[in-house]
Order: sequence, then structure tokens, then C-alpha cells
Amino acid sequence: MISYVEALLNGILMGSIYGLAAVGLTLIFGVMKVINFAHGSVLMVGMFAAYWFVKLTGVNPYLSLFVVVPFMFFFGYFLQQFVIKPTFEAEKNVREPITVIIVTTGVWYILDNLALLLFGAEYRVVKTSVTGNIVEIFNMYFLLPKIIGFGVTVLVGIYFFWFLKYSKMGKAIRATSLDREAASLMGIKQSKIYNISFGLGCALCGVAGCILVPFYYVYPTVGVTFDIKSFIIVVLGGLGSISGAILGGIIVGVIETLGAQFMAATWTELLVYIVFLIVLFVRPSGLFGLKQDF
Amino acid sequence: MFGSAFAASNTVKIGNIIPLSGPSASVGIQGKQAREMAVREINAAGGIKSLGGAKLELIFADSKSEPTTGVTEAERLINSENVDILTGCWNSAVTYPTSQVAERYKIPFIVPVSVRDTITERGFEYIFRIAAKDSWWVRDQFSFLDDMQKEFDVDVKRVAFVYENGDWGTGFAEKWRKLAEDRGYDIVLDEPYPSTASDLTPVVIKLKRVNPDVVFLVSNASDAILLTNTIAEMDVNPKAIITSGGGHADPSFLEATGKNSEYMFDIVEWETDLNRPGLKETNAKFKKEYGQNLTGEAVDAYISMYLIKEALEKAGTTNPQKLKDVLRDINYCDGKAKMLAYDCINFDESGQNQNAMPVIVQVRERNGEMKRLTVWPKNVRHEGYTPVFPQPAK
Repeated sequence: MISYVEALLNGILMGSIYGLAAVGLTLIFGVMKVINFAHGSVLMVGMFAAYWFVKLTGVNPYLSLFVVVPFMFFFGYFLQQFVIKPTFEAEKNVREPITVIIVTTGVWYILDNLALLLFGAEYRVVKTSVTGNIVEIFNMYFLLPKIIGFGVTVLVGIYFFWFLKYSKMGKAIRATSLDREAASLMGIKQSKIYNISFGLGCALCGVAGCILVPFYYVYPTVGVTFDIKSFIIVVLGGLGSISGAILGGIIVGVIETLGAQFMAATWTELLVYIVFLIVLFVRPSGLFGLKQDF
Repeated sequence: MFGSAFAASNTVKIGNIIPLSGPSASVGIQGKQAREMAVREINAAGGIKSLGGAKLELIFADSKSEPTTGVTEAERLINSENVDILTGCWNSAVTYPTSQVAERYKIPFIVPVSVRDTITERGFEYIFRIAAKDSWWVRDQFSFLDDMQKEFDVDVKRVAFVYENGDWGTGFAEKWRKLAEDRGYDIVLDEPYPSTASDLTPVVIKLKRVNPDVVFLVSNASDAILLTNTIAEMDVNPKAIITSGGGHADPSFLEATGKNSEYMFDIVEWETDLNRPGLKETNAKFKKEYGQNLTGEAVDAYISMYLIKEALEKAGTTNPQKLKDVLRDINYCDGKAKMLAYDCINFDESGQNQNAMPVIVQVRERNGEMKRLTVWPKNVRHEGYTPVFPQPAK
């Protein structure tokens, strides 16, 4: 019995981190209506940034948040400014911008191969002060870095919720996501909002990178592992919904961990897809999705 | 006619299909480096003398560990690049269909490493495998376990199987099951998992619940790291963990797991501490050039180039039919083959190297660094080393 509770709680811990990795994707989609196929690679960049920062300075991995997150914000900001935006402008009047999607796919390949070129294919793990630390409760074991990761995810989720709801910039972002034309008529500079949203999406990958690195390995295609999961989570939770992404992540994490206690681990992947399809069938816009036409 | 003979005397094209990106990229790149080093040496020493000093030329194709990509690349290498010989593909799942393409076009295909039995059990004529096949690996894992129980007077009853759900892992598991039943072990867990899993805690929780005496593992590199660290962190303490090469033999594995991998037993084709002629020099050269020790896979890739050289020298032509005939009868025991754990490479009816023999190593910390020390068979055991069995609780 106890191992099922252990599995459930571990699923929630890991799932929250999946959710955090997916928030950036949902944010960018919510605002720009662009599916960022390079999302996994951006996460990989965030992980490498955290890896190198911790490795070179030897500081506490969670302090690296203060360097990696701003770095990732500007990385995203300029990626949107110089790479995504030109194609986006060219397709301004197209209802479903396809070229932008292709461009993000290109960015995915470029980032992955650049990382392969720069860092090689080997798996890197950085030993930090929290790596391998265990918290034991009632004979159940939890990895300290995962608990901290869960805490960070909850804080970031709450902050983000507040930021989008009450701050001026958050309101501008929401306005743009609801109606870009009307928002720009109100004096909101659309391209700037896009840059900032893309930057924020990437910054969130930076957060995920910093909390993953103390217990997870880094290599050039590590993003692929989280990529498909992020897409499922985002659709499951409702495209564009922050709380939906985090809840979706937790659902996937729990299915994977708890499901594996009753069947071979191979089949939990299938189980995730089955739940995904059922949710889509009952609520096509996802759990927290708005019934709007994208 | 004259044209082709002239071209043949210039270069011999070797097509290599290996994973250069994707989940097995790190092992693929080691194979690439080993092949390049061998070919540089062969060309510098005057190339293929019986072909008028023809040079070897390597052409690489990235399989990304995907069977379909392997097949398309084989077609491309044969039809567009006109390769004379093929090697690859490391992943059994890729080698299996890809070698079928080579057989169809009648192009000799050297398989340095891919352990799935059926690769050489289809009655093909053009496929030659250097490494041992998985039934041999599995057989030796169990013989090793028997020997260890006798040597240390420890009783093992409950075994658990945890393996990646690809061709390789399921192939191993199938044979484990049978051997375990024959030898009277209780199988307490039989668990396939997807090698791309981002979290293996669920599998480890299960392992903890059944609390086995011995855990058998088959993993690629990323999941090997994840599993080993999670097993140590979740406080699972079996008497022994016996792994199956692959990810556990990857140099980045020890780096990434550190103390967590101590006392694990791994079955490999080859190890750097084997007492064999020429091994130290070649390994030192490789390490100087690429910063890592050779691995079993890399050595087989390296030696496959020398095997190709030997076959070409004997055949005196790149005609695939002739080359195949020469390979069938080859008995390659020259200096480079001596690096292996056995003396010669020669192939049986099916194209399987009859002498291939795995060894078992134990991971131990030596001066703050994790090392792999050969423990089995006893006659090649690392000098002065006594294995630790059962492993102490961590």
C-alpha cells in the first residue's frame, strides 16, 4: 500500500516539473498562436546554461536561477526579434501561419546540432549539494531536488498567475492574446509583446532547466524527451492556460508513476494517450481551455 | 571494365551506418572515431597492397537509431555512393532490417556489434558479426552468477529483470526467463520500460517492493544513468546488479553516476584492463586523440576496419562475391585481433564469429575514480583483485 502512495506522490513531484516545462509552450501559443516546435531545444539550452553555470562557479544550483532565467529571457527575446518575427510579419494576414512553424522546427534542429557540436554527445551530470539527497517520510523516499522543484514550480505558477492577471504587462499580454488588432489599437505594441512573451516562455524553460539539472542529466537531444510530453500536457490542460499546463503535467506524471505499479512501465505511455483522448473527446478544448476558436 | 578496375585501385568505399544523433549518439560517435583512427593507420601504412595501395574511404550515415532511417541510408549508400562494403549499425533493431538490404544487393556487411541472435540466423551469406550474440551474453551472465555463488558461498533465489523495451532488451529478457526457469530461480519482476522515459522512479519503486536478490538490467546510456542513480537514491539494495553492456559500458555512464554505480557487474565484449598484446598502446593513442578510453564497441569497430583490410588484401579485388568468399574462410589472428579477449576472428556457417566471448567486470572506486575491473572468467581476472559479492548496502 505504502509504495502506491509513494508512487502517487513521486508522480506529483515529477509531473509538476513536466508542467513547468510545458508552461512556456502554452504561453507562447496563447499569445502568438504559434506552436513553438523548438520548445524542447530551448529547454535543453536552459539545462546546459544551468549545467555550465553550476559546473563553472560551483554555486548552489538554485542560485543559478538568478543568472540563467534572465539569460534565457533575453535569449528568447532576441530569438523572436531576429528569427521568428521576420517570418511572422511576412505572414501577418495569414490565418494559420505555417512558415513560422517551419522556422521554429529549423531552430530546433539548429540548436540541437549546435549543442552537439559544442558539447559533444555525452551525458553530463553535475553533482550539486542537493544531488542524491533523500527525504524519508514513513518509509517512503523522495528526492530532495524533486521536492524543491515542486516548490519552485508552485511559486512560479502562482507568480505567473498573478503577473498575467494584475500587472500592467500581464494585462497587455492577455489583451494581445485575446485580440491582437484591438490591443494594438489601444496602444499596445504588438511586436514588443511578442518579444516579451517569447522571452518569458524561454525564461520558464530556464527555470525548468535549473530545477532539473540537480537530478537529471543533460545532453544535446534531451529536449525531445520533454517535447512530446509538453505538447500533450498543453493540449490536455487547454491551450494557452497556465494552470492547465501545470495540472496537465501533474496528471501525466501521476499516470506514468502510479500506472506503472499496476502494469509494465512500457504501457503507461499508452495509458497517457488514452486519458488524453478521453479528455479531448469530453472537453475538446482541454481541461482549462476556453471555448474559443483559435 | 577498365574504368571500374581503375577506380577500384584508387579507393575502397566503406559505408558505415551508425547512430550519430539521437539517444545512442554517444556510442555511435565513439564507433566513428575508432573507425577513423583505424583507417588513418591503414592508409598511412600504404593502404591495400594487393589493390595497388588503394586507400580506404569512410562514408558515414546517421541512423538516428531508427530502423527506417537505417534502411533508407543503406539503399542510398549502395545505390548512390556505390560503397563496396557496409558496416554498422550498433542498434540491433537497425542492423536487422538494414543488413537485409545489404543481402539483397549482395554487398558484404560487417556487424561489429549488434547482439540480437537473429541477425545471423536468417541463412544470409553476406552478413558477418564480430561480437558475441545475445544468447551467449545471457548464458555467460548466468554462468557468472553460478560461479559467484560457489566462490563466495552465497545463495541467490529471487531475480528481477528490468530492460529497455526495444529489440535488444526484449531479446535478452526472453532468454533470461528461460535460463532462470531452467536453473530454478524465482522471477519476482519482469519489467520492460521505454528507453526514452524521462523518469524511472516508477520502475524503481516496483523493484523496491519486490526486493530481489539479483537485478538484471539492459539499458541504453540515458536510462542506465537514470536507473542507477534512482536505484541508489531510493535505497534498493540487492545482492548484485548485473548489467548487459550498452549504456552501462558508455564512458559517460561512470562519470554521471559516480559512487552510485559502485559494485555493479557489467558484461562486455572487451575491457581496458585485459592483459592482451597491443591493447595498451592502441588505447593510449585513442585516449590521446579523443579524450576517452576505448569501449568494447569501439574496439570491435576499430578491428572491423582491419578485418576489412585483411579481406581486401586476400581477395585482391573489391568484387563483393569474392570478398564474401574470403570473409567466409578468413582466420584473422594478426596483431590487431590480439587486442580482443580471444585470439582470432573466424566465422561459422551463419556468419557469426565463433570465438567471440564476453567478459564480466565490476565497477569499483580506485583513488576517487570509478574503474571497471575484470572479474570473470577467473583466468583473465584483474590481477590481485577479489570481487565484492554480495554488494554491501549503500
